[in-house]
Amino acid sequence: MEYKISGDVDRMKDDPIAKVLDDLLKLDDILACMVARQNMISVMPSDGTDGFNPEVNQVWDIIHRAMDDVFNVIHEYSQTGLAEMEFSLQDYEVLFYVFHETDNALVAIIPALSNKGLIEVEMENARREIQDILNEQEQIRLAVV
Amino acid sequence: MDKNIDAAVGMTRKWDAREAGREVARDAIKQLKSPPNFFVLFSTIHYKEHGGFEEFLNGVWDVLPKRTPLVGGTVAGFMNNFGSFTRGATALAISDTNIDIFIGSGKNSKRSPKRAARKCADTIKNGFKKSGYRNKFVLNLVSGPETMKIPGQGYKKVVDSGFMSRFVSLAFGMSQYLIQKGPGREDELFEEIVKELPDCKMMLGTTMDDYKWIDNYQFLNDQVLTNSVLSVGLATDYKFDVCTTHGMRETDIKFKITKLSRDGHIIQKINNKPALHELQRLLNWPDGFINEKTMAHTILYYPISLKRHGRQVPAVMPTFLKDSILTPCIVDTGDVSILTVSGKNLVQAVRDNLSYFKNIEPEFGLFSSCMTILQTLGNNINIVHQEISNYFKEKPFVMFFCAGEGTYSPENKITYANMSFNTTIFGYQN
Repeated sequence: MEYKISGDVDRMKDDPIAKVLDDLLKLDDILACMVARQNMISVMPSDGTDGFNPEVNQVWDIIHRAMDDVFNVIHEYSQTGLAEMEFSLQDYEVLFYVFHETDNALVAIIPALSNKGLIEVEMENARREIQDILNEQEQIRLAVV
Repeated sequence: MDKNIDAAVGMTRKWDAREAGREVARDAIKQLKSPPNFFVLFSTIHYKEHGGFEEFLNGVWDVLPKRTPLVGGTVAGFMNNFGSFTRGATALAISDTNIDIFIGSGKNSKRSPKRAARKCADTIKNGFKKSGYRNKFVLNLVSGPETMKIPGQGYKKVVDSGFMSRFVSLAFGMSQYLIQKGPGREDELFEEIVKELPDCKMMLGTTMDDYKWIDNYQFLNDQVLTNSVLSVGLATDYKFDVCTTHGMRETDIKFKITKLSRDGHIIQKINNKPALHELQRLLNWPDGFINEKTMAHTILYYPISLKRHGRQVPAVMPTFLKDSILTPCIVDTGDVSILTVSGKNLVQAVRDNLSYFKNIEPEFGLFSSCMTILQTLGNNINIVHQEISNYFKEKPFVMFFCAGEGTYSPENKITYANMSFNTTIFGYQN
C-alpha cells in the first residue's frame, strides 16, 4: 500500500499550511508531521519528507499501514465529534488531530516517552492555525463560485 | 488615581532569538500609552538553540527603553490572552506612575537558598521603606530543579538499578552544593523571604525548561543568569490579592514516612518498608509498575500530601530511585495521605481560584502554575484558558508554567504546592 502525495511537492513550499507544519517540525520531539487522510498525504512540510527525522524511515511502512486503519475510524466517527486519536507502535507514538467534521487530520510522529502534554499544546495550536487557513480558503472558493 | 492601569501583554512565536526578543517587546509596548516602567518576560527554552538567550535579550533591548526594569526566565509554557503555548515568549509590560518597583537578586539559590533569599529581601525591604504606597507585593522567581545526569544512563526519572540509586542518594547533597544540580530549593528560599518580609503578599514561581529538567535561565535586565533568585517588589495603592488553589482530593490511602534522608528530600522508608515498594503496594500496583513509560499516566495523578512545619504540602513525586522516592521539597516524617487529581478537578480549581477575587475588578493578572498540569491536561489546557479569558475579558494576563510554586499572605500564610494555580490580580475594589 502506497501513500499518495496530493499535488506537486514544489508547490507545497508556498502553501501556508506547509509553513505551519514547518514550525511544528522544528520542535525536538516531532519526528514527522503532515496533514493527511486515508491513503493520501494532503500537505507536507516545505522540505517534504527530507525534513523528517531519518529514524522515521525505518518504521514508516508499518506506521503508515497502521495510520490507514486509524483513518478508517476517523472516517467513521469524525462527523460525530471524534477529535483526537493516537497509537503507540514500537518506540513511537502517532497523534491524530482531526479537522472538524472532516476525514482529514494533522498527524505527528513522536518518540515514545516524550513530553506529550507539552507537544499536545502545540499540536492544538497548529490544528487551529490550519483550520483558520482552511476556512479562509473555503471563503475565497465560495466567493469565486 | 486613574481608573485604568496601563498594562499590556506581548507575544512572539518567532524562532530566531533576536527577532523573537524584538517582537515580544514591540508587541507589548505598542499597546501602552507611555513607556513601560516594568517588564516581565517569559520564554520557552527553545531560544537556547536558536540564537541563545543573550541574543534574545539583545532583541528585547533593541526595542525596550533603556533602564526599564526587566525580570523573567525560561518556563515550560505560558498562557496569555492569545492562548496556551509551549513554544515562544510572552511579556507583561506595565506603565503606571502609581506603582514603585524594586528588584533584588541573589546567586547560588541551590547551594545557599537562605543567603540568596536574604540578599533579595534586603533590597526589597530598603526599597519599600522609601515608597509612600501602602500595599506591598513581591514576585519571586527562582531557578527551578535540574536533574543530575546519571553516569551511563543519562537523565532519568526512574532509576531502577540499586547501585545507581545508592550512588544518586549519596551524591545528591554533594551535587547540589558543588554543581547546583538537584531540587530548586525554592521552598526553603520562600520560607526565608517570608520571614524577612512578613507583611507583604507574595507569589512564587520557578524557571524551567521543557519538562526535561536539564537547565533553566533567569533574566535580569540584560543579563542571563543561572541558579539565581529574582524578587520584584511592587508598592502601590491599587488593590491586589493572591490565592493558591489545587484540584487535589484526599483518598483514604494513608501511610507514615518512617525514614528520610538527612536533607529531608528523599523518602527512604514508609511504614518501615522500602518506600517505592510500599507505595506501589498501597496503590495496588505491581512492583515495577512505575517506570519511565507509565509515569506520566499514573503517578502524576496521585500526588501525596506531605507535611512541612505543620503545613500541608501537596506534591508530585517526580523521581524514583530503586527503593526511595525523591520529593521536590523538604518534608518532615509522619503521616501522609495519597491524593488524587483529575482534569475536571483541575478546571474546578481554576474556577475556585478566580472566585476568590470577586471583590476585585481586575486590571491585570499574573499566574504561576505547575507544569505538571500542562503535562497532564495537554491540549485540554485550553479549557483553563477559556475560564481565565472569561474572567479577564480584554484585561491582560500571563500564566507561566513552572515546577514549584506558591503564594503567601499575612492572612493565609505560606501555601507552597505542586499541581497548583497561584494567582495575583491587581485592580480596584468592586
